[in-house]
Amino acid sequence: MVNTGALSRLPSPALPPHICSGCEFGPHKRVRKYDIGITSGNKQFYFPKYMTTAPFLEQHASLAAGKRRYLHSISSIYSTEQMRRQMKQHYLDVLHSCLQSGNCVKAFGRAVHALARLGDELWLDPLAKGLALRSVNSAHSAYSCFLFSPLFFHKYNLRSATEKSAEAIKCKLLMKSILPLFRLPSIERTVERFEISIEEDLVKMKFFCKHGIVKTHNLRFQESDALQAVFSSHLCPNVLKAPAKLLSDMVMHFPVSQEEITLSISAAKVSLRNYFERGNGHMKLMHTEMSLHPDEFHYFQVGVDSDITFCLKELRGLLTFAESHCLPVSVYFGAAGKPVCFSIEDMVLEATVVLATLMETESRAPSQHTATPLNTTTSRCEVEAPQDRSGVEQVASSQGSPILAPRLSLYPSQIDLPCGQGDPIRTHAPSPAPSLVCSLLFKALSQAEDAALDPKVLVGVSDEEDVMEEEPQSPPL
Amino acid sequence: MPLSTQSQTNEEFYVLVATLDNARNLSNILKAIAFKDHAIFSATPNGLKVTVEDSKCLQANAFIQAEIFQEFTIKEDLVGFQVNLTVLLDCLNIFGGSTVPGVLTALRMCYVGYGYPLTLFLEEGGVVTVCKINTQEPEEPIDFDFCSSNVTNKVILQSESLKEAFSELDMTSEVLQITMSPTQPYFRLSTFGNSGSAHYDYPKDSDMMELFQCTKTQTNRYKMSLLKPSTKALALSCKVSVRTDTRGFLSLQYLVRNDDGQICFVEYYCCPDEEAEEE
Repeated sequence: MVNTGALSRLPSPALPPHICSGCEFGPHKRVRKYDIGITSGNKQFYFPKYMTTAPFLEQHASLAAGKRRYLHSISSIYSTEQMRRQMKQHYLDVLHSCLQSGNCVKAFGRAVHALARLGDELWLDPLAKGLALRSVNSAHSAYSCFLFSPLFFHKYNLRSATEKSAEAIKCKLLMKSILPLFRLPSIERTVERFEISIEEDLVKMKFFCKHGIVKTHNLRFQESDALQAVFSSHLCPNVLKAPAKLLSDMVMHFPVSQEEITLSISAAKVSLRNYFERGNGHMKLMHTEMSLHPDEFHYFQVGVDSDITFCLKELRGLLTFAESHCLPVSVYFGAAGKPVCFSIEDMVLEATVVLATLMETESRAPSQHTATPLNTTTSRCEVEAPQDRSGVEQVASSQGSPILAPRLSLYPSQIDLPCGQGDPIRTHAPSPAPSLVCSLLFKALSQAEDAALDPKVLVGVSDEEDVMEEEPQSPPL
Repeated sequence: MPLSTQSQTNEEFYVLVATLDNARNLSNILKAIAFKDHAIFSATPNGLKVTVEDSKCLQANAFIQAEIFQEFTIKEDLVGFQVNLTVLLDCLNIFGGSTVPGVLTALRMCYVGYGYPLTLFLEEGGVVTVCKINTQEPEEPIDFDFCSSNVTNKVILQSESLKEAFSELDMTSEVLQITMSPTQPYFRLSTFGNSGSAHYDYPKDSDMMELFQCTKTQTNRYKMSLLKPSTKALALSCKVSVRTDTRGFLSLQYLVRNDDGQICFVEYYCCPDEEAEEE
């Protein structure tokens, strides 16, 4: 019910001409035949005819023209017809298809490139919550997922879930057949619209380019089990949220050939350094270490001091993507051995990379030429007191962090750890002994997601149901 | 920079003398058709025609009119010989082919006649090189009998759009299928590779389409390996005309502008893929 008293105190708002769809108020009126003209003073206002029968206006015949106009503008925004239109857009339809504009093709292409750095195959998963692109590397130690929500697309139609209940399409494409379609510098210039649809056994990609040229690519896909990693990011003790360029600026200092890096976190700082195996002429390699003060992060939470070592190569794709979209990167991790998750999100897309980390019982650190050996062989996270390093040149951080004296701890002498990241687990939980193991949270998505999702089962083998530890189910990535 | 007159004493013995201030005007065009070692040269008073053939299915011709040359003297109506094109290109680029502006390699090409080598005088920055390349008996180039009256479909496109398509073509496909039709899809390039098929459609009202004359719907397949060399000519050209005739033979004509803005033509003739038609 409208309180006319209150309304009479309202000044008539100056409406921009386009505020009401279909009706224009302003200097360039478009008067339709059925519009009703109402004169108020010197001005004439036009309303669509149906407005005169609108119940709320009928009861308030004394409303001035300006007030009616105002009410009409509000009502058209919230009209049920418009609501219905909007809901229809989000409802599931008959075809699997989505349309994008040219600008979005760039984001899509960049996502494909980032995934291509990881593995040779791309999983396309149209879901109600969006189109998911996933990839995993051959050693199954790295997984990445880019989820584009329906809002990313101009139109997103999914075959309704009720028709094919458990048979949602899960298609796997070869990266080498899809990557050449998205040549990054040129694609944003030439493609105006992009359509992707998944039919019986084909993924159809249509690029509508400039000058009316249409490129259609029909790619055959293999049906396969879904690929999904289960990672309880909310259970991670350590959480960082870094501004967009911070991490990519840091990894820029490592040579492209650097395979693995170690991220160390403590209450005082976060540091990144390159990782190398002992006994491989480590003294001849260039050692790089960078430290960041907690203030440089948007969010900094340290639950357990730890050093995690993971493969840098597979992360670069995501960092490039985050930098190009100016999105902050969140890092979730725990102690060494547990996977680390890097994720970015904005309104229309989410991307995550889950990497396995080296699990080791011994600590590692670059040795210094003036170092004094320590007796301890315990893991690094237990070494509390920072020690001074003399003779080491320290470079002031460009971000303005205070220069911190890095902690010194040395190699324990005894055990030679094998190089590389080890084999994916197939059976049970690894023993904590010196064997180097990568644990990973993958589980092939079986149709019934009932079992307590086990964080230690790996991807690709849907029949394996190794239930080791009971952990609360976390939302799949 | 014109060459010195040291060879003028032999002038009367040469049946063909062609001089260019910038040898690149010739070498760039020849690179566009250099997919085989041997080339047949035919010189007439109108200019020079160089032909390269492959397995009797593909023929490439480069036309350099007499007007392009600073001097073009020919004593007979037709002078023909065959040389190793790779060697000729190496000689034309003997000074390293640097792209420093202002530094040009001048060329004087002389041919005495049947049985004599082709003599090239190249000069750059005061240094003169003389190359003598052995010639062979010219083979008769295949006559594809492609005449305008048999042409069913003709399309002239700006090379920009085709360049992109050709660079993205799926190389795992053995054939390139060209569909030309007065109705949808007006001009379509299709490949059928390992991962699936791809289609590039050019509408007849596109701004890239300069001329569209299609009388009937034709779909022909050509071996990708045969058409691959034409991408070099496409890269140099600004316009390309695609014609097919009643037998399905393909004619690609490329309009190439050289460094001085003069126009030369390169054309490719290709036979349709017979095996595909039998399927």
